[in-house]
Amino acid sequence: MRVTEQTKLRTRERILDAARKLLDDKGFERATTRDIAIEAGIATGTLFNYFPSKEALALTILGEAVEQAESEFQARRWGGESLAELLFALTASVLRCLGPYRRFACQVIETQPGPSSMPTALQASDEALRNYLEHVTELITHHGPTGGQPPTVITLHLYWTLLLGVLSYWAQDRSPHQEDTLVLLDQSLRMFVHSLSEPHHRTELSDEPDHL
Amino acid sequence: MNPTISELIKALPEDEAGHTTADDQLRDLLAKLADKPVPIGRLTRLWTFGTLQAKLAAAYLAWWLRTFHSTPDAKQQALNETHLKSAIALLGSMSYLRGAIMKVGQLLANYPEVVPQEFAEVLGRLHFQAPPMHFSLLREFVRNELGDDPENIFDDFEPEAFAAASLGQVHRARLKQSGQCVAIKIQYPNIARTIRDDLRNMKAIIAPMRLGSDWDNIELQFDDIRRMLDLETDYEQEAEHLRIARLAFTAADEVVVPKVFPEFCTKRILTMEYLQGRHLNEFLQTNPAQELRDQHGRQIVLAMFRLSYGSHLLYADPHPGNFFFMEDGRLGLIDFGCCHRYTDADLDYVTAMEQAIYGSRDDLRLAVIRATDMTTKQQADEPRVQLLERWCDWVSEPLLHDGSFDFGDPAYFRRGVELYGEALKRRYVRSLPVNTWLTKNFFGLRAILSQLKARVDLKALTAQETTVARPTAG
Repeated sequence: MRVTEQTKLRTRERILDAARKLLDDKGFERATTRDIAIEAGIATGTLFNYFPSKEALALTILGEAVEQAESEFQARRWGGESLAELLFALTASVLRCLGPYRRFACQVIETQPGPSSMPTALQASDEALRNYLEHVTELITHHGPTGGQPPTVITLHLYWTLLLGVLSYWAQDRSPHQEDTLVLLDQSLRMFVHSLSEPHHRTELSDEPDHL
Repeated sequence: MNPTISELIKALPEDEAGHTTADDQLRDLLAKLADKPVPIGRLTRLWTFGTLQAKLAAAYLAWWLRTFHSTPDAKQQALNETHLKSAIALLGSMSYLRGAIMKVGQLLANYPEVVPQEFAEVLGRLHFQAPPMHFSLLREFVRNELGDDPENIFDDFEPEAFAAASLGQVHRARLKQSGQCVAIKIQYPNIARTIRDDLRNMKAIIAPMRLGSDWDNIELQFDDIRRMLDLETDYEQEAEHLRIARLAFTAADEVVVPKVFPEFCTKRILTMEYLQGRHLNEFLQTNPAQELRDQHGRQIVLAMFRLSYGSHLLYADPHPGNFFFMEDGRLGLIDFGCCHRYTDADLDYVTAMEQAIYGSRDDLRLAVIRATDMTTKQQADEPRVQLLERWCDWVSEPLLHDGSFDFGDPAYFRRGVELYGEALKRRYVRSLPVNTWLTKNFFGLRAILSQLKARVDLKALTAQETTVARPTAG
């Protein structure tokens, strides 16, 4: 029997819904692809036709949230923001949209490669995450102190490291509405933007090739 | 007599950075502070506080403590410049740390005769010159608290704060339904824990100074400040105090307490009617006539008495930043974070103390012994009892005075400070808990009346307010 595109889309959504529920209920480690397939009412093998792994499934869910955050960020821009404020607003929006998945988002983030292999990680990650970093690149280029020059790989590397740190903190943050994370994010981003203005940073890193 | 701060600023030499006045330094400092984040984590703050405070506390506070009991004339004139520079540096430190340290700065600024004048004046600037949160951070916080972005909840929400204080910043907006102009006080995220950490840091740094036998007393005061600051971080509590206080005044009183809009309030956001007026310093700069000073002085006393007698609410933090001198001659009263609701036991005690003040010396002595919870041995310590009696005399002097009492006489306020200092020095700190609040009220009220140079008939106002005392509102 020929499976229509519409049926495929419906099945994909069913799998994602089941995954959202089980990853939240059981956590990333304990929820298995078999559990998810049963919850979605399909065979385990069928699940792999849609998502190659549990990680890919989780990253898709998180990626959708990041995409939603991007559009919310655009809608809420008001025009008077500094670079630090723009990066804050974008990332705070991401955290808000990732909020419902905080339990397993943390576990997925922890499995991501460290800063030393970041370019690989970025290539392997889903499109939404790449888009997010491209957006960050664009903001730094147009609103940063480098006068329209795109950031170097090392600059983005630093940003990524800060972001992972903030995300790890956020995952464990027990303050109301994770407000401590907001303060930490604000502080980290101000520090990051300040580092862009350091003369040594500009001269030493300006010749670095830009891969992104 | 010490010079004023403006005379000091004029006398300051140009410093290495090429600034011509201390005002330039202040402006620069505040501009830099606007880019500084709130330090998160106790260690970070300890580092910041330690480096700045190490330079200041050792040199400045130690000098102040050593010379506290010398007469004003004996103070070295040359040190005035040091005071000013230290105060500017301390302002930077406190604004950066925002929480407890800034609040302590405000408390100190309220006692112009306790801290040197120059120091107090710079500290006084803290009331409305703290560096603000940027709008994106504020917006996330409001969305968490009220469920939507501020610009969706209100009309004309101003992204720039029009006032900032130690615990929050205040934005202007309009209510969507009525168009009424409101002031929205928004607390800094994480401030309550910041306060607790800052106080621990401050104790850790001051502890080595020990200050001999006074240390226990200072430690007690830290605990007391912490308790009050805990209260001040609860805006729901403040909203309730505002509601009670608003019921206490009629149009004839010419005292205005802003209306609260509870649908836009949480523990950390307080939305209230926007009041327009001048702060004390601005008011004094207009060189007001004595009559106007007296009128506002009377309103301030009336407000304190009405709240106390009528609403059983003790307004424990009457510092200048909490009063608005309105264009139409009314007095605006804001910031009800630091209020104490009298318990029945407190009321019994306060009533007994008042009766003692109007009674014989024996009555007063018995009341003092009760108020300070003295042991039998302490009751036999005649200098101790006498000093505390003199303190009571100082507090009650304006209450017993026939006609208007002139608070503009600096000798009166100085005497109170000397008595208070003497009691601290001798560690006469045993007291009923309510006295901590009462003392703040007595001192704060007399400090502002002294700055205002007002003449007020407290005796008549006491008679009026105790006669027409209304049932408690809450």
